[in-house]
Amino acid sequence: MQSVADPILVVDGVSYSYLDKFPALVDVSLTVRRGEKVALLGANGCGKSTLLKVLDGLVFPDAGSYHAFGTAVTEQHLEDQQFSEGFRSRVGFVFQNSDAQVFSSNVRDEIAFGPLNMAMPLDQVKRRVDDTLEMLDIADIADRAPYQLSGGQKKRVAIASVLVMNPEVLIFDEPTAALDPRTQHWLMELIVELNRAGKTIVLATHDLATLETLADRCAVFSEDHRIIADGTPEDILADRRLLLSVNLIHDDDPMHEHPHILIP
Amino acid sequence: MTSTATPAWLLDSEVGLCPCGCIGTRKKANFVDKTIAGSASLLRRAMFADDTSAQPGLLQRVDPRIKVLSLVGLLVVTSLVHHIPVLLAMYLATLPLAVASRLSLRFFVKRVWLFIPIFTGVIVLPAMFSFITHGHIVVPLGHWFGHRVGLTSQGLRSAGLIVIRVATSISLVVLLTLTTPWVELLAALRALRVPRMFVLVTGMAYRYLFHLLDSVTDMYTARKSRMVGRETDVVAGRAFVGASAGAMFGKAHALSEEVYSAMIARGYNGNARTMNRFRLGVQDLVWVTACLAAAVVVLGWDHAIGR
Repeated sequence: MQSVADPILVVDGVSYSYLDKFPALVDVSLTVRRGEKVALLGANGCGKSTLLKVLDGLVFPDAGSYHAFGTAVTEQHLEDQQFSEGFRSRVGFVFQNSDAQVFSSNVRDEIAFGPLNMAMPLDQVKRRVDDTLEMLDIADIADRAPYQLSGGQKKRVAIASVLVMNPEVLIFDEPTAALDPRTQHWLMELIVELNRAGKTIVLATHDLATLETLADRCAVFSEDHRIIADGTPEDILADRRLLLSVNLIHDDDPMHEHPHILIP
Repeated sequence: MTSTATPAWLLDSEVGLCPCGCIGTRKKANFVDKTIAGSASLLRRAMFADDTSAQPGLLQRVDPRIKVLSLVGLLVVTSLVHHIPVLLAMYLATLPLAVASRLSLRFFVKRVWLFIPIFTGVIVLPAMFSFITHGHIVVPLGHWFGHRVGLTSQGLRSAGLIVIRVATSISLVVLLTLTTPWVELLAALRALRVPRMFVLVTGMAYRYLFHLLDSVTDMYTARKSRMVGRETDVVAGRAFVGASAGAMFGKAHALSEEVYSAMIARGYNGNARTMNRFRLGVQDLVWVTACLAAAVVVLGWDHAIGR
C-alpha cells in the first residue's frame, strides 16, 4: 500500500554529469515520503547510484534542486557543522562496495566511527556499539580486522556502522549484490523489519526477484539516465514492454514468476 | 542461446593443451608465481602476528601505551651502551621475555638474525678491514701495495658492537609488534599524543594494503591461469608488471574517493575520533619498575666497565 505521509526527500529536475562530460542524471525528479520503501530500478550505468549519492549529499546536482526534511541540501549548507551533523545523522548510506565502507582497523572502531563523529558521549557510543553488534549477530568478530572478514560479514559490519547512528532514512546501493542466498535473505528480512520500525528505505537494484519484498514503490531509470516510470512493484513488473525497453529483462527471458517471499 | 554466432574454434577442444601434464617441462617459478607467493606470505605474516598478540603471555598483558613507552626507553638505553658484554646481556634478556610471551624461541631468534647479515652485515663488513679501521691485525689476509691487509681487532670490535646493538634493538621491536595487536598499537600511539591524522592514515594504509594485495593476487592469478608454456618474453613480462602497477594506481585512487565518501556520509569533518579503552593495572606498574631497574643496571654496568 502506498504511503500518504509527508515528503522528506524531494529531488526536482536534477541533472548531473561526471567530469562535465558523461551524463549520469538527466532531469530527474523523485519524491520520497516518510516510511516508504522506494526502489530505484535500472540497468547498469543508468544513474541509480549517482541519484543515491545526491540523496546522501555526496554529490551535488549541476541543475535542479534537492531538499531533505524541508531544507535545501547544497555543498554550502553541508559546510555548516550543525546542518551537516543533523543531515548525516538522519540519512544513512550503505555502499555497494563494503570494502570502501569498512575502513577502520577493527569492527568495533568501524561501528563507533559515525557516533564519535556525531560527538556522542563515549559511554553512549560504547552502549550503542555493543547493542548493534548484538543485533546484527557480529559480537564475536568485534575485535577482528576487516581483512579477516568474509563478504557477508563485511556487509553486516557496513550496515551496523550505519544503523548505529539510528538514521531516519536508510539508503542501500545494490544491497543484495554478491551475497550468498542466506545473507541475501537475512538482509531482506532486516530491511523489511527496519521499515516496519518506521525507517524510510531507498535502495537501488536491478534484481527484480527481490522487488516485491523490498519495495512498495519503484522508480524506473531508462538507459538515457531519466526516470521514465514510477509505480508499485506489481504494476512495474506487469509492464513487460517497459522492462524490455530499460534493459531489465531480455527478450528470451520468461518473467520472474516466483518472487522471494519472506516468512513472517 | 545467444544472438551472436559462436566461432567454430570455441566449440572444438584443443588437443595440444592436454591437462594431464604430458606436455612441457618443469620450470622455476617466474615473477608471476613469486608475486603470488609473496602476497600470500605477507598475509600469513600479518595473521601470525595477530595470533601471537592474542596469546595469554607476559607482554600481552601489559598496557600497549606502557609497552610502547618502555620499549622505546629500552631502545634509547641500547643506543647509549658502548660495551659488547652489556649489549649481549641485554640481547640474552630478550629471549626469556619472548618465551614468557608465548613466542617460539626458534622463530624469534630466526626473525632477528635473518635480516642482520643482509642489512647490518653489508654495512659493517668494510669496517673490519685494516684499510678502513686501522689497528692490530688479528686475521691477516695478505699484502696490498706493500701493506699488510687483514681484519683488525678494533674493526671486529666495532662491527660486533653494531651487530649486537642492532640485534638487541630488533629483538625489542619484534617483541613489541608480535605481542601487540596492530589496532592497539595504533591506539597506543594516539594515546601517547601522536597526531590523530598520522594514526588514522597509517591505520587506513595498513587496512587497504590487504585489500589491494587481494587485487594484485587476482591479477597475477588471472595471468597465470592463461599462461601456457614457459614465460620467455621479458618485454611482455615487463609490460604486464607496468600495466598492473598502473591499474593498481587507478584502483587505489578510485577506492580512496569511495572511502572518503563513506567517511563523509558518516559525519567525518576532518577530526578523527577514536575510542580509548586502555586501563592501567598492577602488571603495568610492575613492568615499568622492572624496565626502569633494568635500564639503571645496564647503564651503571656500562659506565663501570668504561672506567
